Amino acid sequence: MVFIGSFALALALLLALYACGASLMGARRKMPALVESASHALWAMAGMVAIATGVLLNALFSSDFAIKYVAQHSSTTLPTFYKITALWGGQEGSLLLWTFLLAIFAAIVAWQNRDTGLELTPYALFTLAAVASFFLIMLNFVTPPFARAFPRPPEGGDLNPLLQNYWMAIHPPSLYTGYVSTTVPFAFAVAAMVSGRLDDAWIRRTRRWALFSWFFLTLGNLFGARWAYEVLGWGGYWAWDPVENAAFMPWLMMTAYLHSVMIQERKDMLKVWNLALIGLAFALTLFGTFITRSGVISSVHSFTQSGLGPYFSTFLGVVVVCYTALLLYRVKLLRSTAELESFLSREAAFLFNNLVLVGIAFAVFWGTVFPIISEAVRGVKITVGPPFFNEVNAPLALALLFLMGVGPLIAWRRASTRNLVANFSMPAVIGVAVGAAAAALGVLQWYVLSALSLAAFVAATVMLEFSRGVMARRRAVNEAAPRALVNLVAKNNRRYGGYIVHLGVAMAFVGIVASSFFKVEVKRSLAPNQTLDIGDYKLKYLGVSGDETFHMERLGARLELSRDGRSLGVLEPARVFYKRQQQPATQIALRTTPSADLYVVFAGLDPKSNLATFQVFLTPLVLWLWAGGFLMALGTVVAMWPDVREREAISRAWERRTLGWQAADTADFEGESF
Amino acid sequence: MRRVAFLLFLLASLAALAPFGSALSRTVSAPSRASLDEVAEGLTCQCGCGLTVANCNHPMCSFSVPVREQIEKMLNSGLTKHQILEQFRAKYGEKVLSSPQPEGFNLLAWVMPFAAIFFGAAVILIVLARWRARPSKPIAEANESVQGYDVKLRYRLRREVERLG
Repeated sequence: MVFIGSFALALALLLALYACGASLMGARRKMPALVESASHALWAMAGMVAIATGVLLNALFSSDFAIKYVAQHSSTTLPTFYKITALWGGQEGSLLLWTFLLAIFAAIVAWQNRDTGLELTPYALFTLAAVASFFLIMLNFVTPPFARAFPRPPEGGDLNPLLQNYWMAIHPPSLYTGYVSTTVPFAFAVAAMVSGRLDDAWIRRTRRWALFSWFFLTLGNLFGARWAYEVLGWGGYWAWDPVENAAFMPWLMMTAYLHSVMIQERKDMLKVWNLALIGLAFALTLFGTFITRSGVISSVHSFTQSGLGPYFSTFLGVVVVCYTALLLYRVKLLRSTAELESFLSREAAFLFNNLVLVGIAFAVFWGTVFPIISEAVRGVKITVGPPFFNEVNAPLALALLFLMGVGPLIAWRRASTRNLVANFSMPAVIGVAVGAAAAALGVLQWYVLSALSLAAFVAATVMLEFSRGVMARRRAVNEAAPRALVNLVAKNNRRYGGYIVHLGVAMAFVGIVASSFFKVEVKRSLAPNQTLDIGDYKLKYLGVSGDETFHMERLGARLELSRDGRSLGVLEPARVFYKRQQQPATQIALRTTPSADLYVVFAGLDPKSNLATFQVFLTPLVLWLWAGGFLMALGTVVAMWPDVREREAISRAWERRTLGWQAADTADFEGESF
Repeated sequence: MRRVAFLLFLLASLAALAPFGSALSRTVSAPSRASLDEVAEGLTCQCGCGLTVANCNHPMCSFSVPVREQIEKMLNSGLTKHQILEQFRAKYGEKVLSSPQPEGFNLLAWVMPFAAIFFGAAVILIVLARWRARPSKPIAEANESVQGYDVKLRYRLRREVERLG
């Protein structure tokens, strides 16, 4: 099996290199057959990488400790579910997963664009194959996943206990899917610049890929935050750790990109900016991988440190230099004949929205790398932690929220006074009213009041757009309101999907602000039958109970929860000890309601005094963060869904294909939604 | 109709504040976070957890547990947050502070993000001013419906051409 896995990876590398050469030569010499063979090579490469991934999964399943990776990251007692997740629990496996996703995406791109001519596709295939070649070189020569263990150990070292959590089963694959899929728009951007076809064709062909990437980056960040919330046991979900930052930056770049491409599609402006953004987004995914794997910055999330750093930094350098050179080479052709009538226009609002998003990304990047810069310049180690990121990003987040409310309603070209009054008076009144109501409830922090007002303002702009659309449909086609709403979204899914995302962002922001400002913490040691009060809740410590398996020992504490004298059940936080890794871990107990989360950590038991120590947090509106995140994901799905006209275009293309006509380029219809 | 919708939305927005308010009524009335936490938030735990001393929850942590006790003693002796942080910096070096002090070279950490944003804003304003100076095409009314019409027309034209083709 080891031989099959290694051989499949070697073959995949050869196929990727062949795809590079064939696609490039096919494009330069105008030989479609050669480009077609490059596509076939990419399909075969995807097959080979899939086989290698399957072999490693099988080895993990069967606890084949002859493979070093399996011996290091699995054990016979590890539950089967975590044997699968161990695939991305270590360096080699996670790199294999990355390559597997890239190979699959490259194969899909080759299939999607098989009949789209020799202008863009061959160069895009070349870029995808080149990136895949780099990863396959790593897998074949630097961190081979099928390296043998000598001597074969009788038992494996087990998976890191912090990774033995269901959120970790979905967080890395989601984040990797988001990371890796940025390669597709990046590849088409390179293709546009190399080929000189600098119109918005590359954007239309990759619009859905960009949304797909954003969708998974959103989920990846969300799942990662949830994992931190449940597993690390400190009552928070985001610590501005370098690895968290590395996942957040591409998300910010892709958000900026998704907004600015709208301007290029409608107004033929910002061509250089869009190319720069997608290049930065891709470079930041490589930077994130570099940070996670190099050990250059210490992080609680760096589970896979190795000597890969120099290779990744070199590759990152090559990508940045080549891409910048290409951009500079084409910059004259990219100049648009843009015109602007007024600073009070949607174009200007979108530009400032981009500025704030990229500004936040820069602030996060700067804070992440500043310790390295400080050490290099002054030779002094420093820490840049949460207080820095919170202080720098807090005002920028408010600006972003404001622009998020303004952007969708302000008119293109020039907003007249009439337009401003008609669109913004009601949301502004609602924003102010919500702020005033919050102040009346006792909220006195200016930041919280601003955040609440702006979130209400954003929500009101979204609701206003929905209500206007529904009323217009009711007038025009005499539909009932629910039907009009469904049809409105179905026929304009890109636009209304975006509004749903905005609503999700506003909701998540309220959750973040409330949970950051109003968290209450109580830490206390209790003897059996003693109680602890937090907010309206009362926790009565009943005692501890232990259990043990081959895999772990667990000491659970039982706490009876009540509110206003009414019992709400028993909470069981626990301390867990993983035997193989000789490592303790925390299992929190959580009671979630829309208004607040009660989060209980069993900090320890003193056997002498029989006192159990608990750390309890009462955190308002955490649920709003998760709900807002899922609303963002839902909005993205709505925006990605093919609209009526795209479906018509696709069916016409199929009709023509069956009639034997020359293949249609359905991509021509991408991105046109009204 | 619009007024009714407006009032309904206003009421819904205020109703959405209800859980916020009830959470606040509980949390605001609870004792506010001790200044111990404020000081502990300014220090990074050195146990490798990557969190601040305020957030490190390792029960037997060899750093955060004694440091919290020290902070409490220091606060009781009347030292300010700044003085306490200075004492820890003198003992453990700058890395113990959870954010760089805004002085000397470290000022760069604080200044650069805002400098970059102001620079970006200036560039955008200059670019927008240039675009604004260009002669604009005559358009009857510049609003979204005109833009929408443009795209719709383009789509219809393409379909017509396709049918003819």
